[in-house]
Amino acid sequence: MSGVSMVGVTKTYGQVKALDHVSVDVCEGELLALLGPSGCGKTTLLRCVAGLERPDRGSVEIGELDVTGVPTRDRPIGMVFQNYALFPNLTVRQNIAFPLEVRHKVRREIDARVDELLELVHLTDQADRYPKQISGGQAQRCALGRALAPNPEVLLLDEPLSALDALVRGRLRDEIRRIQQLVGITAIYVTHDQSEAMAIADRVAVMNAGRVEQVAAPADLYELPATQFSAKFVGSRNAVELAVHDGRVGIPGSFHIEAPSGSNGHALAFFRPEDVVVSRGADGPGMAARVELKVFLGATTRLHLIGDADGQPIAIFGDLPSRQARLIDEGEMVRVDVDPSHVHAFPI
Amino acid sequence: MAVNPILTATGQRAAGGVRLSRTARYLFFGAVLLYFCVPMAAVLIYSFATRWTANVLPDGYTLEWWQATVANPRIQSAFSTSIALATLTAIIDIAVVVPAAYWSRVRNARIRPVVEVAAAVPFALPYVVIAFGLMQFSGVVVPQYQGTFALLVAGHAAIAFPFVYWAVDGAMAAAGIERLSETAEACGASPFQTLRRVVLPNISPGLVTGGLLSFAASFGEFAMAQIIGRGLDTVPLWSAEMIRSYTDTAGSYNRLAVVTLLTFAVLFVLSAVVVYWNRGQTVRLLPGGVASDKGGGR
Amino acid sequence: MKMATLSRPYPKVGGLESAGGSASPSSIARMRGWLAAWLPAIPLLLLVSTCLIAPVVVLVWQSFTGMGETGLSLDLWFRVLGQRANQDAILTSLLLAASCATVTLAIGAPLAWMISRMLRGSRAFWLGLLNVAANFGGIGLAFAYMATIGSVGMLTLMVQGLGLPFEAPREGSLPALLMAYEYTNVPLFVLLTIPAMSILRDDWWEAAQVAAATRLVFWRRIGVPILAPFLMAGWLLIFTWTLGIYGIAYGLAGQSGATAVHLITLQIGSALQSDVLLGPGRAAILAVVLMLFATTSLILYRMILRRALRWL
Repeated sequence: MSGVSMVGVTKTYGQVKALDHVSVDVCEGELLALLGPSGCGKTTLLRCVAGLERPDRGSVEIGELDVTGVPTRDRPIGMVFQNYALFPNLTVRQNIAFPLEVRHKVRREIDARVDELLELVHLTDQADRYPKQISGGQAQRCALGRALAPNPEVLLLDEPLSALDALVRGRLRDEIRRIQQLVGITAIYVTHDQSEAMAIADRVAVMNAGRVEQVAAPADLYELPATQFSAKFVGSRNAVELAVHDGRVGIPGSFHIEAPSGSNGHALAFFRPEDVVVSRGADGPGMAARVELKVFLGATTRLHLIGDADGQPIAIFGDLPSRQARLIDEGEMVRVDVDPSHVHAFPI
Repeated sequence: MAVNPILTATGQRAAGGVRLSRTARYLFFGAVLLYFCVPMAAVLIYSFATRWTANVLPDGYTLEWWQATVANPRIQSAFSTSIALATLTAIIDIAVVVPAAYWSRVRNARIRPVVEVAAAVPFALPYVVIAFGLMQFSGVVVPQYQGTFALLVAGHAAIAFPFVYWAVDGAMAAAGIERLSETAEACGASPFQTLRRVVLPNISPGLVTGGLLSFAASFGEFAMAQIIGRGLDTVPLWSAEMIRSYTDTAGSYNRLAVVTLLTFAVLFVLSAVVVYWNRGQTVRLLPGGVASDKGGGR
Repeated sequence: MKMATLSRPYPKVGGLESAGGSASPSSIARMRGWLAAWLPAIPLLLLVSTCLIAPVVVLVWQSFTGMGETGLSLDLWFRVLGQRANQDAILTSLLLAASCATVTLAIGAPLAWMISRMLRGSRAFWLGLLNVAANFGGIGLAFAYMATIGSVGMLTLMVQGLGLPFEAPREGSLPALLMAYEYTNVPLFVLLTIPAMSILRDDWWEAAQVAAATRLVFWRRIGVPILAPFLMAGWLLIFTWTLGIYGIAYGLAGQSGATAVHLITLQIGSALQSDVLLGPGRAAILAVVLMLFATTSLILYRMILRRALRWL
């Protein structure tokens, strides 16, 4: 297995810069997620690794091999597409066998390998069905089998779960991760769904407008967002605009932290709803706030709180375990506090 | 992410095809273009020629044929007959097809198979055959109408209706006419109101395309005009007479050239409007069962 | 007892809202229901049945009854089909249709493919051009052909003037008809098959590339198997259409007079125009023969398409 190295990849379409000097390394055996909103360049980057796009500048290496100018069919890759891209006139078995037949392998070898893969993706019973006759989840598993058939160095996945029902998505997501770890293959996984990325990736690369904002393990990304975009995109957060006083920002009665460098007058403070401490009663630590709305989300309940900072009303979401939240009524006045270590501020 | 046709660095579409080199492609298309334009060029030159029998280019050029043709009362009447015929055909077809297509989608799905079988008839059977049959049939049932304009209109309407049907049906599918109708009904509209204010505006590309296609079909139709419209004079009938004059008597060929060009001009304008109205999307001419409304097109 | 009714615009098919009591006889109710279901389609059905279906039925009937003879008989059939001229016409028509369809396929398929891959602007241009060419048939086309490659046509004279021995195909001969027919048939074929071309998705080709396939392999294993039925369907349509072409043949055949090829459509036309006594009978038989070919063709067409779509 090999790692992948992308150095200074740039790609422009007319006026639009899809990729702007992107450099990312993927370690051997790692699953790297490329996460970002539509148009951020994640798919373009993946296609550059696949050879379906040619970067204007920069290079792509797979293992020791510089593949920048190499056509797709000569690259040691397997790819799973968003819409499965299964050949409709071939059965599941024939689809999986296709990459091997193209490489002129021996019939016996092909059959053995295909059976092995059918076993791996749990499609042995559907082997002789056509793509039209199987479900979306099964189709995607077949696509995975086809991608892995020739034992590639790298597995590329382009939003593989987007076309599937919500129910199927979670299970298949875990399947993909299980298989990737079992086979030990290096993988690059493109998605716009941050919970999906966090659930399966070893590391996540957050992309925005053709640039990489941050590359980190999911937990680190969640706790320590490096840029404002990462903070907003990953996990649900409160984003509160606060005035800078004496180089510090804060909510009176609650937290005060150092203002981020480069902020002139105002900064954006991020903190998670589950880090908001809500206490009942008019006195106690924190800022006074009124409970505007309670939203029951199952295990937790989200409180919409309206408080006051420097005379400006601010809206904050606080998550409480539902059992606690049950005791709090809408319209009630409570006190809201946040531990300063959980707050990250960015300049506006 | 939609599968977009993306240009690769070489500027060619990254599609699996027989990758001819740029020059080979230009040659192929150039040859095709030439094949289509040269005959028209020949006709064009003929229309301006004085005598043209022996040499590559005519002996001389003149505008007299154009002037003579346009002023010729017989030709004028043939054109007006053809135009009237084609216009009536288009109008009748639209008036008759739209309600049927609408109803088959919104209320009674059993209309569809019946209409589709009927729509196959003008395509499978040559107009000659249909014309002949119609002549026999009308001879039995309404002999007084034989040779009349009305019967020819009816015949043309019958053979041109599939064009209107496919265009209108396709437009209805694209507009999601079932949902629109239900919404209109929920708002309290009567069927007529729904038709006038909701359905018709939303299928206008189909109406235009279908109307123009049926106009074109009628305008250029020869077989039926010859067999049924015995006493009438349409442009194709006049042309047939001209071409059968074995010697180039009194510039009959030159006049034919002018008329051919005029016909071509009419068709050209119609086609341009059809394509413009559909903005480069492919027009569904036939029931292909092909995925033109499954979002397969680009 | 009056049932409370909502002010519905019109009743649905099958059910019947009876605002009155339950005393209406079911036959009237059924007729009202039937009318409600079919009324807007009736004008079209009337037009179609009188001008399309009835004529066809009449022709088939006449081919079996002969002109004025009582009872159904195959007499006329044997007589007409035994005549050399008619046999010639049938064979020639079939030959012309088959060769025309094949040439059309050879030229049209690559053309349709390339056009379907074009960007919007140039595609619109080509579609417009094809639209015009597809509709341009009949006498006008026959004349244009004559003016170009006729015995004294522009190109003929040009090539001869260059010193090359070039004998233009005689108007009214099979090659001449073939060339003229292509002018409308190729555009028609392309317009009919372009929708099918977009069936081949880009991501299939990309997936094939990832699987290390070359273009040849892709076409052989994926592209052609999927497209072939649609192309065959196109072939059948052009075949059927060519069998029925009349105007162009009329224009070209007129030049050669008696030595022109015999085609079924021309025979029908001339039988009606010249032979008042026996003509209609002969024409009816020939018409029914044409109908048989066309119907068979169409049935095959539907079968092929259904097979084609089993994977898609």
